Amino acid sequence: MAVKVQVRDLHKSYGKTEVLKGLDLDVQDNEVLCMIGPSGSGKSTFLRCLTHLETPTKGQIIINGHDLSDPQTNINTVRENIGMVFQHFNLFPHLTVLQNITLAPVQLKKETPEQAEQTARKLLAQVGLADKADVMPTSLSGGQQQRVAIARTLAMHPQIMLFDEPTSALDPEMVGDVLAIMKQLAQDGMTMIVVTHEMGFAKEVADQVVFMADGLIQEQGKPADLFNHPKSPRLQDFLNKVINI
Amino acid sequence: MRKWQVMVVTLLVTLGGWFGFSVTAHADADYTIATDTTFAPFEFQVKGGQYRGIDIDLLKAIAKKEHFTYQLKALSFNAAVQQLSANQVDGVIAGMNITSAREATFDFSKPYYTSGVVMAVAQKSPIETMANLKGKTVALKTGTAGATYAKSVQAKYGFKIKYFNDSNNMYNDVKVGNSVACFEDYPVMSYGIKNGIPLKIVSKQHDAGDYGFAVKKGKNAKLLRQFNAGLAAIKADGTYDKIINHYLHAKESTLTGETANSRTFVGLFTQNLGTIGNGLWMTLKLTVVAIILATILGLILGVLGVMPGKVGPAISSTIIYIFRGMPLMVLAFFIYIGFPDLIGHGFKIPAFVAGLITLMLNEGAYTGAFVKGGFQAVDKGQMEAARSLGLPYWAAMRKVVMPQGIRIMIPSFINQFIITLKDTSILSVIGIVELTQTGTLIIARNFEGFKIWLMIAMIYLIIITLLTWLSNWVQRRIN
Repeated sequence: MAVKVQVRDLHKSYGKTEVLKGLDLDVQDNEVLCMIGPSGSGKSTFLRCLTHLETPTKGQIIINGHDLSDPQTNINTVRENIGMVFQHFNLFPHLTVLQNITLAPVQLKKETPEQAEQTARKLLAQVGLADKADVMPTSLSGGQQQRVAIARTLAMHPQIMLFDEPTSALDPEMVGDVLAIMKQLAQDGMTMIVVTHEMGFAKEVADQVVFMADGLIQEQGKPADLFNHPKSPRLQDFLNKVINI
Repeated sequence: MRKWQVMVVTLLVTLGGWFGFSVTAHADADYTIATDTTFAPFEFQVKGGQYRGIDIDLLKAIAKKEHFTYQLKALSFNAAVQQLSANQVDGVIAGMNITSAREATFDFSKPYYTSGVVMAVAQKSPIETMANLKGKTVALKTGTAGATYAKSVQAKYGFKIKYFNDSNNMYNDVKVGNSVACFEDYPVMSYGIKNGIPLKIVSKQHDAGDYGFAVKKGKNAKLLRQFNAGLAAIKADGTYDKIINHYLHAKESTLTGETANSRTFVGLFTQNLGTIGNGLWMTLKLTVVAIILATILGLILGVLGVMPGKVGPAISSTIIYIFRGMPLMVLAFFIYIGFPDLIGHGFKIPAFVAGLITLMLNEGAYTGAFVKGGFQAVDKGQMEAARSLGLPYWAAMRKVVMPQGIRIMIPSFINQFIITLKDTSILSVIGIVELTQTGTLIIARNFEGFKIWLMIAMIYLIIITLLTWLSNWVQRRIN
């Protein structure tokens, strides 16, 4: 198995506050990695470093063989291969659902407008929203918007997908639809890094689970081991809190 | 070509046309000679926008004798003098007194007229002599012999002084009672009274002085020689006396071509329709071109202001700081008079172009400030989502951030368009005859202040109403 993402000694500080204190992580091809941990532990910052929305203070990130800290690396090319799904969807409100999906492939000349539209309609069908192609995003529910956002990301045919708490902003009854699509992606072999509070999803879908707290990886392993036999008191404490709500 | 590219090209061609036009208009004449706008009977505007008066007719007769051509530029007296010292014009004929102070910067022709200063008061005023002025306010026009004389006797009679830029406003101030008296050259005052100014002359002539035609010191010696020779020639053949008598002994309104029954609101309107139309057209031209230029500049400043890094935002905020902080009038003077003075070599900017640059910089700075704010008001997640999809910064800006930001800015744009329209009126100070200046000029010959200003105000309100309707329609379509 090839290594898709390689992270070494990653640090990130905002002024004097150090949010990431030295992370090492490998993600293999076709692997699904779930990151869990309390709020403020640095999970989102870590994901944002991977797409270079944040510039690391120190350390190395290699994605698909491209070193992000190397000034020669064209970040736009790297980004075309990593899809990012945000907590608040970030759909473009001035464009229709279809235009949201076709914007990047057409702008970056990956596809002709006709091809892009075809792909977009196929992806919309895949996320169960074939009939919503021509509506504006604001008329959709949160769950529907997140499914469009996933379709928008897929339209760039990414090799890796990052999910930043994709269901945290959704009403509970919408969560299932989004998770089902993510599960399908995982089964189709997509390499995924998912920051989530959905322990059920992590248990069922993840190949590897990482528990983060205080800017460090505290524990890491197969979901069965991590959830059933947590070693560190931090993780035991965290699992007690989230599972016994 | 895309729509916006077509727009930019059209704009450049139009501007180029205007530039070309103003330059050739300049090149056609041998000289550019400035005069005052409201100093009857020496210069005043008649029906149809033409200038007439002793100075104008003398200049015309002299030019004919001496075979030179000239372009006449009617400005306020102050602006005319400033432009002469800044080399923007070749000569000034504006009932200017030859004084030793002025001889330090200008060369004068032989005197072509001699007059003295008189004091005038409102018709029912109890003031009879200068001794009655103690503690009262006196109205003066800057730079005139009347002002010099009044200043010289101020300490003796103990009055306060209020300055005006043109004669008409000075007369009005006395008429409505804000000031008790004004000081003016005798022929000007007596002509004005004969033509309806409700004042009376209560003093004899003081400080008799000579009027002369002026060029900048050491420049245009040939023009000065031609003027002197021509003056001698028209004095010899009787033309000079004919012109002077024509203006000094004319009956009311025979010169302006106005009749008494045309003093109603509607009468005044129809009679001045042509002049007002020209002024309105100039105002609209300035407004439309200035709005386009200011919007382009504002968008550039706004985009620079939100650019990553420090250089773009620093340039943007410096430009906004300078041009938003400067009063429009100061900026107009700086560009029209100060800037050519700095460059030297006879460099000239046509007033229309100077006015456009002024509006572009000032309104563009305000536009830049709200464009920047509008872009910043777009949720940060939008840029992040676009960049995450692999779009380069400019593509993300153009396709995602700008369309949303501009929607936020629309009400500010409408507001700025209306302000731009109103701000064009300030450009009358550099001699652009737009709607407001048109009003001043019409009142200078008929003294119908209330009716004319009401007319001008109504025209502004009508255009602003139309502009607001248009903007609301655009806004509805975009949303």
